[in-house]
Amino acid sequence: MASTDAMLNKQEIFTDGFWHNNAIFAQLLGMCPLLGVTTSAENGFWMGLATLLVLVGSNLIVSLVRGFIPDEVRIPAYIVIIASLVTVVELTMNAWMHEMYLILGLFIPLIVVNCAILGRAEAFASKNNVMDSLVDALGMGLGFTFALLLLGGVRELLGQGELFGFDILGANYPDVLLFILPPGAFIALGFILAGVNLVNLKLKAKKEVELTQAKAEAAS
Amino acid sequence: MKFSKEQQKIALTLFVVALVAASMLAWVASVTKGPIAEAQRAMLHKNIKQVLPEHSNDPVHDMFVYPISAEKNLQIFPAKDKKGDVLAYAWEQIAPDGYSGTIRILMGVRLTGEVVAIRITSHKETPGLGDGITKDMAWLGSFIDKTLRNSKWSVKKDGGDFDQFTGATITPRAVVRAVQQGLLFYKNSQADLLKRVYITTKAKNVTQEGAK
Repeated sequence: MASTDAMLNKQEIFTDGFWHNNAIFAQLLGMCPLLGVTTSAENGFWMGLATLLVLVGSNLIVSLVRGFIPDEVRIPAYIVIIASLVTVVELTMNAWMHEMYLILGLFIPLIVVNCAILGRAEAFASKNNVMDSLVDALGMGLGFTFALLLLGGVRELLGQGELFGFDILGANYPDVLLFILPPGAFIALGFILAGVNLVNLKLKAKKEVELTQAKAEAAS
Repeated sequence: MKFSKEQQKIALTLFVVALVAASMLAWVASVTKGPIAEAQRAMLHKNIKQVLPEHSNDPVHDMFVYPISAEKNLQIFPAKDKKGDVLAYAWEQIAPDGYSGTIRILMGVRLTGEVVAIRITSHKETPGLGDGITKDMAWLGSFIDKTLRNSKWSVKKDGGDFDQFTGATITPRAVVRAVQQGLLFYKNSQADLLKRVYITTKAKNVTQEGAK
């Protein structure tokens, strides 16, 4: 019984990070890399993956040392941990993924100031055990990657008629440059957020219908 | 001044965190140092190969330094045939006037003064707009076989022979100007360059023979 409880709990933590509390869609955190780097699906994907790695590492370490760090200095300590992890990711990409590093180069150091990561360290990893923190980091990180991939894909498709560098809309498609430029990121994000809210409304309505049905059945 | 136990603990914790982080970073930096240098060298090799004609030497090995002013040097990569005669040179030309910052262009030029090809090695241009200079192969290809005489060295908007991009004129303009300057540099120093290649090769051969 206890094990299924724990399972459910983990699943909840994951979906909470991936969807209900998604760093981009629900919290609107980490806008700097989101808007700067998502000019194509591929850039968005790799940036999301780099962020995911840092997030997993920082949640892991913060939850491991949470008992030893005095409250007064927890923020500087977390920043040191996150900044070190980002540097590790940056050096690793530079060494073994040189071409992607040259594209993302400017934005990788900015992962340090992605408030989604410090936010998770502060709000979750500093209060929960290692396993839960890992699940939370995976959910949050994958949710962030998904958001970057989605926005990058939409902007690449509308701005260049391509997806992952492959021509999708044909040679006659008039590239809408606006979507490649920063304002296009805001516009596309606005429409995506509207879509996410619509999905959430539908989910909520479905849940209510199920609830009233369950009540009616119980009454009869 | 005396510190309370609390304060001592705080200082100690931060010290330990910083120490552990610093030693981890030092370790990662030492591990990745080799592969990063290797990746950069591989990138350089790949780029140089693309801007030089068929050759039988190693241009990176035969690289020599050519002073262009009191404090600036150019690294010149010569392509040679089997007999050791120079076919073309490659070097990095810098366009200081990109849309955002400098653009570094690797260009190869034949002895006779035609552009073999150009590649962009680093830039900070707008993704999706100016960064077409790295991806648009048709545009990069438009430089092939161009000489100072057979082309008008500016973008079409300014009455020249080279395309600009929709929404980005400044970037191609900067590249075109830099390549033209590269050709001018070659025209003014080609005799000198040949002399330098000859001297360097001779010096290298002498050291090799000496080693035997």
